[in-house]
Amino acid sequence: MVDELIEQIRLATKAITDFGIHLFDPTIRLGVTGLSHAGKTVFISALIHGLVRGGRFPIFEPLAGGRIARAYLAPQPDDAVSRFDYENHIAAMVNKRDWPSSTRQISELRVVIEFQSLSGHQRKLTLDVVDYPGEWLLDLPLLTKTYETWASETLRLSRERPRSDLAKSWHLHLAKLDPLAPGDEQQALTAARFFTEYLRACRDQNYALSLLPPGRFLMPGDLANTPALTFAPLDLPTEVPPPAGSLWAMMRRRYESYRAVVVRPFFRDHFARLDRQIVLVDTLAAINAGPEALGDLEYALNEVLTAFEVGRKTLFSALLRPRIDRILLAATKADHLHHTSHDRLENILRRLAQRAISKAEVAGAQVDVVALSAVRATREATARRGRQQLPCVVGVPLPGEAVVGEIFDGVTEVAIFPGDLPDDPNDLLLGDINAFRGLATTSLQNVDFRFLRVRPPALELTENGVPALPHIRLDRALQFLIGDKFV
Amino acid sequence: MNKAYVSKTYMNTWQHRAPAAFRLDRDGAMVRLNTETGGASGQALQLQAEPDFDAEIVMLRDLPRSSRRRVRWGALFLSALGGLVLLAAGMAVSSLIADLFQYNRGLGWLGLALAGLAALSLMAVAIRETMGLLRLATVEKLRDRAATMIVSDDRVEARALVHQFLHLTRRMPHLARSRANLQSHLAEIIDGADLVRLAERELMTSLDQQARTIIATAATRVSVVTALSPRAVIDVLYVLASALALLRQLAFLYGVRPGTVGLVRLARLVVVHLGITGGLASSDSLIQQLLGHGIAAKLSARLGEGVLNGLVTARFGLAALDVIRPMPFAALSRPTLRDIMNELLRSLGDRADDQQCSPQSDADHDESPLIAVP
Repeated sequence: MVDELIEQIRLATKAITDFGIHLFDPTIRLGVTGLSHAGKTVFISALIHGLVRGGRFPIFEPLAGGRIARAYLAPQPDDAVSRFDYENHIAAMVNKRDWPSSTRQISELRVVIEFQSLSGHQRKLTLDVVDYPGEWLLDLPLLTKTYETWASETLRLSRERPRSDLAKSWHLHLAKLDPLAPGDEQQALTAARFFTEYLRACRDQNYALSLLPPGRFLMPGDLANTPALTFAPLDLPTEVPPPAGSLWAMMRRRYESYRAVVVRPFFRDHFARLDRQIVLVDTLAAINAGPEALGDLEYALNEVLTAFEVGRKTLFSALLRPRIDRILLAATKADHLHHTSHDRLENILRRLAQRAISKAEVAGAQVDVVALSAVRATREATARRGRQQLPCVVGVPLPGEAVVGEIFDGVTEVAIFPGDLPDDPNDLLLGDINAFRGLATTSLQNVDFRFLRVRPPALELTENGVPALPHIRLDRALQFLIGDKFV
Repeated sequence: MNKAYVSKTYMNTWQHRAPAAFRLDRDGAMVRLNTETGGASGQALQLQAEPDFDAEIVMLRDLPRSSRRRVRWGALFLSALGGLVLLAAGMAVSSLIADLFQYNRGLGWLGLALAGLAALSLMAVAIRETMGLLRLATVEKLRDRAATMIVSDDRVEARALVHQFLHLTRRMPHLARSRANLQSHLAEIIDGADLVRLAERELMTSLDQQARTIIATAATRVSVVTALSPRAVIDVLYVLASALALLRQLAFLYGVRPGTVGLVRLARLVVVHLGITGGLASSDSLIQQLLGHGIAAKLSARLGEGVLNGLVTARFGLAALDVIRPMPFAALSRPTLRDIMNELLRSLGDRADDQQCSPQSDADHDESPLIAVP
């Protein structure tokens, strides 16, 4: 309770100082979140590239209308956070045609945009973009859960299919543990190792499960091997307070310190002070994997979205408790399917996040859903045979991507028809016999959808050396997120 | 749909085609990579590139219109009467030509030629007027459709609509660059509502700016003339004439080009529109106008009258803008009376300054040869 109160006071102080600083030089903290492999790094790189180098953004009015004079990178405000390596990420995409490596630690970048307001005044807008591993996001719900609740929830989840297959060895080990026995460091270490292995298996491409807290187990950073990361859920007896010195008490204490050392600072420093939020979701990977992954994604999305402070911006909230007044849900990698299916993809994402969306709308925030591709890597084509037509996308699959009878080498260009998405998103969430089949439960031969990951596009250099990146609806996302700040 | 394309268990929920992948052969033929062996149906696979999905322009469907099946007696009467008058005129002309032939053969031919010329030019005028009316109707329809499109967000129809806007503005040379921009954006994946807004921003921005200037200029002229004119009749006539001129100018600006009949119809529409909105945009408060007028009137009764007349003209111009502009105001903001009035008052002030200061300041401005003070 006291913790909570101190937190609130800290946040309020920070908000008040921010308010004072930003009164004359407006700053937007744009939160870019998303589970891992959703494409956060690519999104941020493309966004900054587009702003700084002047991308092709017809829907982003301030840029298309010529009101943005220039945008440049500026030193970031937080000295303790590493800089977002924008230049190298772009170089990797343009020169080597590789996607940037996935985020391992938090990083940020500040862009200053000089523009002319509609009434003709010269203004400056500072945009802070923060990138961090998507796994960390899943820790936010832990802030409201005790060790006991978390342990029982995690266990219950791990006993459902298809997780139960992956958790077999961990479950075997768990059965040997007695929570009431005296705590032993070696036991804790082994338990944590089995637990981490189970989490890692869930994340595999074929399963693509999303809900895997605590996030630092998969992405430990500088906290690897610390006691705060050496705990695991136990099969707990109900209604007994943990005896002092027991394994249970030890795990519980470590869980608490995990929350104190990892989750709360992350929430306070980076999450609680956001103005605008975009949540990137790799819906297609979940559809690839199957209905279980989709259900998991639905659950994870709603968990994550409840962590946001949303609502209409008021003077009071601006002073004491910053709120997010616009949330954009983006189904990324929209270039993996033909544009005629984009609306369906949006509907699916809208359906997945339904609960969170209606909650945010009631609170007064604006929510939009968009199918987006920050860097478009395919072009479109139609495969015809006689009167049959399949709307395809043409691209170069990443090395190792496979369809039946073919594992791609990363050079061959192929046309892909990924399967028809349903008009009604509920058809994807049907259970049992009617459910579609994904890689988690069936072979490549029988899957209903196959979205292949493709390499970045081959780009031609322009006269100033850096090409503009092709995209799908990145400008629409920008217009929704920050367009109204350029008045 | 071929059976091979439909997956087996899944089809009870919806028509679903199983995923497929194809590779381009060296000679351009397609090879199906997964599922059953390709070429089962004996036909070659082709891959057709879609550089842009702009190729097929879908014609717009007509929206259902509420049709009132009512006999319009008044119109019928007028048409019948018009027909009679035409017949009478025809009779008169033919008998005149017959008379002319009796009088003198040469005069007869001359009369015939003149009659033919008159008929021809009448036809040309009729065609022009009809075209003008049609254009007016098109613009109305386009605006309705654009408003619908912004709600429905239909990608295919919005694309067709933007093509029509490009067609409408094809004769405006200073929009060439905007049109080229828009054309190039059509090849990208942009949603319906966004596309309509984009088209509005590209095509209407400079036109709106010009329209604002035109309205402000007309309002200023009316203010000055009525402030100086000796008789009220002249005021009224001048206000009416300049309103018509303003309407015509605006219509030409937005590519409507109505004929005379079209202009009359347009004027009627504008007056109706003024009646509906009360001539008052929501952003303009009555109090502010009263105040503004009051202060001007305090300074000078004539000036106050002039400003009031200017205000009326500006209102008329804004209402005309709503009727003539082929797109609804979605991405751009509607010019308000306040914008126009500010411009009007400023230019009035400038004129007053000019009149007062020109003798004194002439020494400083000797590079201006236009003001030659003896």
